[in-house]
Amino acid sequence: MNFNIWLILAVFLPIACGVLILFFPGLKKRNLLLGVSFLSLAVSMLCALAVIAEGKAELHLLQFGGSLEVYFHVDPLGRVFAAVITVVWLMADIFSCEYMKHEKEEKRYFGFYVLVYGVLMALCFSGNLVTYYMFYEMMTLTTLPLIMHNKSREAIMAGLKYLFYSLCGAYLVLFGIYFLNRYAGTLDFTAGGSGLEAAGGHSALMLVVVFLMILGFGVKAGMFPMHAWLPTAHPVAPAPASAVLSGLVVKMGVLGIVRVIFYVVGPEVIRGTWVQTAWLTLTLITVFMGSMLAYREKVMKKRLAYSTVSQISYILFGLALLNPEAMTGSLLHVVFHACVKSCLFLSAGAVIYKTGKTRVDELTGIGKEMPVTIWCYTFASLALVGIPPASGFISKWYLAGGSLESGIPVFSWLGPVVLLVSALLTAGYLLPITIRGFLPGADYDYEGLQKKEPSGVMVIPLLILAGLSVLLGTFPNPLIHYLNEIIGTLF
Amino acid sequence: MSQYWIVAAILLPILGGALTPVLPFRSRRGMLIYLEVLTIATSAIVLTALSRGTTETLHLVYFVRGLSISFRIDGLAMLFGGLVSILWPFAMLYSFEYMEHEGHEKIFFMFYSMTYGVTLGVAFASDMLSMYLFYELLTLVTVPLILHTLVREAILAVRQYLYMSLGGAAFALIAIVFLMVYGDTMEFTLGGVLNPAVIGGETNRLLFVYLLAFFGFGVKAAIFPMSAWLPQAGVAPTPVTALLHAVAVVKAGVFAILRLTYYSFGAEFLKGTWVQPIVMGFAMFTIVYGCSRAVKEQHIKRRLAYSTVSNLSYIILGASMMTPAGMVGAMAHMVCHAFMKIGSFLCAGAIMHQTDKKYIYELNGFGRKMPVVFGCFTVSALGLMGVPGLAGFISKWNLAKAAVESENVMAYFGIGCLLISALLTAIYMMSIVIRAFFPGRDFDGRSTEGVRDPGWKMCFPLLCFAAAVIAIGLCSDPLICFLQDIAAGIY
Repeated sequence: MNFNIWLILAVFLPIACGVLILFFPGLKKRNLLLGVSFLSLAVSMLCALAVIAEGKAELHLLQFGGSLEVYFHVDPLGRVFAAVITVVWLMADIFSCEYMKHEKEEKRYFGFYVLVYGVLMALCFSGNLVTYYMFYEMMTLTTLPLIMHNKSREAIMAGLKYLFYSLCGAYLVLFGIYFLNRYAGTLDFTAGGSGLEAAGGHSALMLVVVFLMILGFGVKAGMFPMHAWLPTAHPVAPAPASAVLSGLVVKMGVLGIVRVIFYVVGPEVIRGTWVQTAWLTLTLITVFMGSMLAYREKVMKKRLAYSTVSQISYILFGLALLNPEAMTGSLLHVVFHACVKSCLFLSAGAVIYKTGKTRVDELTGIGKEMPVTIWCYTFASLALVGIPPASGFISKWYLAGGSLESGIPVFSWLGPVVLLVSALLTAGYLLPITIRGFLPGADYDYEGLQKKEPSGVMVIPLLILAGLSVLLGTFPNPLIHYLNEIIGTLF
Repeated sequence: MSQYWIVAAILLPILGGALTPVLPFRSRRGMLIYLEVLTIATSAIVLTALSRGTTETLHLVYFVRGLSISFRIDGLAMLFGGLVSILWPFAMLYSFEYMEHEGHEKIFFMFYSMTYGVTLGVAFASDMLSMYLFYELLTLVTVPLILHTLVREAILAVRQYLYMSLGGAAFALIAIVFLMVYGDTMEFTLGGVLNPAVIGGETNRLLFVYLLAFFGFGVKAAIFPMSAWLPQAGVAPTPVTALLHAVAVVKAGVFAILRLTYYSFGAEFLKGTWVQPIVMGFAMFTIVYGCSRAVKEQHIKRRLAYSTVSNLSYIILGASMMTPAGMVGAMAHMVCHAFMKIGSFLCAGAIMHQTDKKYIYELNGFGRKMPVVFGCFTVSALGLMGVPGLAGFISKWNLAKAAVESENVMAYFGIGCLLISALLTAIYMMSIVIRAFFPGRDFDGRSTEGVRDPGWKMCFPLLCFAAAVIAIGLCSDPLICFLQDIAAGIY
């Protein structure tokens, strides 16, 4: 059976449906709109699942000039990313059905929401760097309307900031692609990379180029010094959009770096060079700084966004160590963080939807009002902090282990220290909401307490994501086994 | 045989245009049909002649022995002549609707048609002297077009334009004299005409002369110190700004530089000498300078004009690499930029025609009201930014590829300039698009009441150009192969 047709459908069906939803003048009725968007998303997801399950499709779609080619190739790494995206995307979509009631212009929201899914699938299944770059730019442009959704001045300025930062990163990447096109032999992703043998005497130049590409993809991943857009842009979007932006879209920066370092260039090229040192330094700075800023932040969604900055750099730190164990930790953290962060953002959204409260200090007693939501929030938080047996523990264990094993001077012990301090800070900025939410203190007005639990449409995605956050950590072995297989091909 | 057709194509619009004011038209409609038929007939002749192809030279008039006005169809001429003859009928159609309320139509159309013939003359001239003749004519014949509105601003703009262009041409004349002395022939030959035996030890003098001529022709190509006239000339009616100041006139400058560099002095003679860094440096500076000015500018046409300044220097950057690949990149951007910029200028003109709004801050919320215009504008904007899948990406790819292949460190920085410029392009173009589609929450519909898309005569060219930008972006192989053949001297 030919799976290429499913691949095309998984990528282009949501894009086509999204465009149709945007431009089709019908769909005035809310239920119809929800039905159409859910149905098109569901069908696309089934196609994507077919591709993921089979895992072998390969497709040369279009040659648009010389070596420039749109080429899809499903490989194990892409399957992991695609599976995570599919699950979380579906959850956030269900959540949106209720949440978006209090925002206007739902048609535009759902149109772009469906469209972006296709773009992300294309990124996961890209077979070469040009295709990846093409859809990477498309992702920037199509997520922009989600960020600017409420059209307030703040949102538009945040959108512009997002756009310009992202493009800046994309152009750094493009600069690298120009050079790799000549010196890497091929831009197709091959496990382990080419080692840049063709570069010959240009190794100094190549290091600069690779570093610029890391910085460029690092923009999307919120890596210091180009992280500033993230805490501005993610919180202004509607909550389900923030959830997928923070949980999934940032991961495309991570995937980009993995593709460049491990699938095109080859990890040996930068091992032990100044590039690795600089990259490790930047990630550790980001881990620490993100947590500190989150700790200081009073607006809940912004706090979560800063937390994303910090957590994504955990992943990047693991990649920068360039050893198999740390990389296992990184890829695990990709999966876990996607579930956890989207769960956190969705519960923040549920709180906003029901109470309108956005600041952390207003949330005293929130656990009494919305117990299920805050329980989900709590479990996800614990997973992020890294309390065993919840998921974060496993990934951090591997990260720390990989770091100690790597034998890189200073970083091998500094890394785990920073990770631990950051984990402490994570507990410090996430758990007070739970504590004050459930234990509001003696002077809390128990008489005026109203149950504000949101409806099942919002609670069920929360429950599922919180459940995944915990259970994936309790039973991680199949996943770890699969990831180890992938990583085995890279080193 | 074809070269006789070329002469016919040059003379037809000149004579036909000159007759416009005296012919007894019964109605405006009659005149418009006459003009459109004239233009299409000319284009048809040019394209037929090009498809027949011939390399014979036609000497039309001899001044003295060796000096003649002569025409020939070679690769670069095919490119420029073909480009102009494709664009002109569309721009003509557009101007019918645009000029309805501008007055003095007959005079306008007379010179507009004549410019067509003169531009073809520049394209098909087979030696330096013939090209010089038509180049000067081009300056003179476009003066009335800029002067059209007769406001004070226009008069000042024309004065600046005349002084700079004529002054520049004088410098170019110096080069012609030197080429007569040191060259084998005046005829354009790929690889240059200089005779090493005659040059002897006078290389530096010749290089200096090249520099003079480069900056002389650089006036029309708007290289930095001589770029001021171009934004000023934006007072002309939009069909003029769009076609002449984005394509015909300015590209004639670039075309002359390509002729000078690759067909007269020869890339091999210039490559690696002290003039190359100077030329490249000025191009790089102009790229960034033009974009920065565009970001600052609030008048929509002036912003686009500064964008042209920057983009013309992309072409010159390609030319200054002095390699066949660089020439391919330069020519590719010549074509791609033509479609993108004429498209965006025509959109700006459509906005001015429909609403009299000239400044970017007045465009809030227009996107919904003029979907065709802003849709096309968005395509051009994304194309100029270099989003993959659109024309701009292809030309930048080829420019950057040439830069990497040239292994010239300065060219690497040239790539950097291209990307900085791409980022600035995103800033100055996307801020218009976002303003139009996302006007902000406090926006009330009153300011856009009654605004709508213009009629088909304006919309049709816009849609065609947008389609061309996408088509080149998705299928560039035929174009690039053709350009590679030109640079290899096959045509």
